[in-house]
Amino acid sequence: MKKLPLLLFLLAPFFATAQIKDRLDSERKWFMPDHLKLQFAGNIGFLSGGPGYISNNKTLETDLLFGFLPQKFGGDGLFSTTLKTTYSPWSIPLKNSYYIKPFSIGFYLSYTFGKQFDTKLPSHYPVGYYWWATSFRPGAYIGGKLGKDLVVNKRQRSLEMYYELGTYDLLLISYVQNTGYLRPSDIVNLAIGLRYGF
Amino acid sequence: MKNFPKALLLALGMTLTACEGVFQYNPNQVIFKDSETNLNQKNIERIQAIPLKDTVRFILMGDTQRWYDETDAFIESANNQKDVAFVLHAGDISDFGLSQEFKWVNEILVKLKCPYLTVIGNHDLVANGPAAYRKIYGPMDYSFEYGHNKFIFINTNSREYVFNGEVPNLNWLQSQLADNRDNKNAIVVAHIPPFDGDFDPKLQDGYAGLLANDPNVKFSLYGHQHTFRDGDFYEDGVHYYLTTSTGERGYWLFTTWKGGYKAEKIEY
Repeated sequence: MKKLPLLLFLLAPFFATAQIKDRLDSERKWFMPDHLKLQFAGNIGFLSGGPGYISNNKTLETDLLFGFLPQKFGGDGLFSTTLKTTYSPWSIPLKNSYYIKPFSIGFYLSYTFGKQFDTKLPSHYPVGYYWWATSFRPGAYIGGKLGKDLVVNKRQRSLEMYYELGTYDLLLISYVQNTGYLRPSDIVNLAIGLRYGF
Repeated sequence: MKNFPKALLLALGMTLTACEGVFQYNPNQVIFKDSETNLNQKNIERIQAIPLKDTVRFILMGDTQRWYDETDAFIESANNQKDVAFVLHAGDISDFGLSQEFKWVNEILVKLKCPYLTVIGNHDLVANGPAAYRKIYGPMDYSFEYGHNKFIFINTNSREYVFNGEVPNLNWLQSQLADNRDNKNAIVVAHIPPFDGDFDPKLQDGYAGLLANDPNVKFSLYGHQHTFRDGDFYEDGVHYYLTTSTGERGYWLFTTWKGGYKAEKIEY
């Protein structure tokens, strides 16, 4: 059971690649993902990656990412899985099939695996002793993207780079109650990522 | 090209060290700068380098959890007290057990004119808190001597260990009290006092008995209840002091000398 997250994490891109090949020969099935993402940082793993979908009007993306923070970089090996949704209302075309999406806003819910984390308060605590779950963290971010339309194997593809400035519930609460000492920059951190659309 | 993923990871690793804090990987990460590790031992060495006087003055404060504005205000009050050798933090440094919170509290407490020491609180044991505490402060049970005093810090957060009978570690406490040939004042510091519901009821009598049966123990120090309390609660000659939370803007100022002490309640 402990190895399940690792397995999911390692296999996610593999499945996705298999699906790309499948689609070359047939019409796209509704459940096929529209893109793959690879993200660095952002409180959902040192690196995280996985498949996602985009709405028909190309403004709303929803992703399922599997993340890992190696012991080497975090003092503790942590696996997590994250459901993420990003809304980018505007796309501005530039020269040479480049485009920018100047503004994105999004939310995520992340789950970190580990027996030290709980979703429900264990019964040896009185009701409400700790009011937050330690395994799930909801967070929010704003950001932007730079993309380029590509043609790969005679098919329309896109490659995007994005950045996100985000925070999560526990840091936000800390800030709101301590505006004298904490500054917004104390609770905001940066994530950068790649999105390959197909 | 074969080494590309390795090179990418290395590049990211270098970015990590260059942009400390800009990137965060998991709320439960345990990442600290070198200047943020093993602080209790480092601060003990600083305390022991302070020239001895006839009296030793120190502050007992605690429960800084999610009260950064108030902790910042504490610094000014504490720095205005004369001849304070060190500050004792009675636990609940963090609220959610996050490394980020330990870092914030340390950032504030390093503005003290004197070193500070901590004992672990129940909130510091939440989620990855134990790993974070060990990294930034060190072992959860430890002791040091300065002047006429021997300070013994012990983890008394029994509920976090499902009252398994091992926390607090009474054998360790007994050996620490016994190892006191010069009969220094033995001052036991912990987060949860023995008469609190979060202290293992099976260990309460044993714990209080160890303190009562040691003639070197005159008083003992705690936090957790977020209110000032003091008294000889077991009528056994040991005076228990509880400090209020930092959110309540108060602390105890102790002055100790050979064979005696004085406690003053300070509000700011």
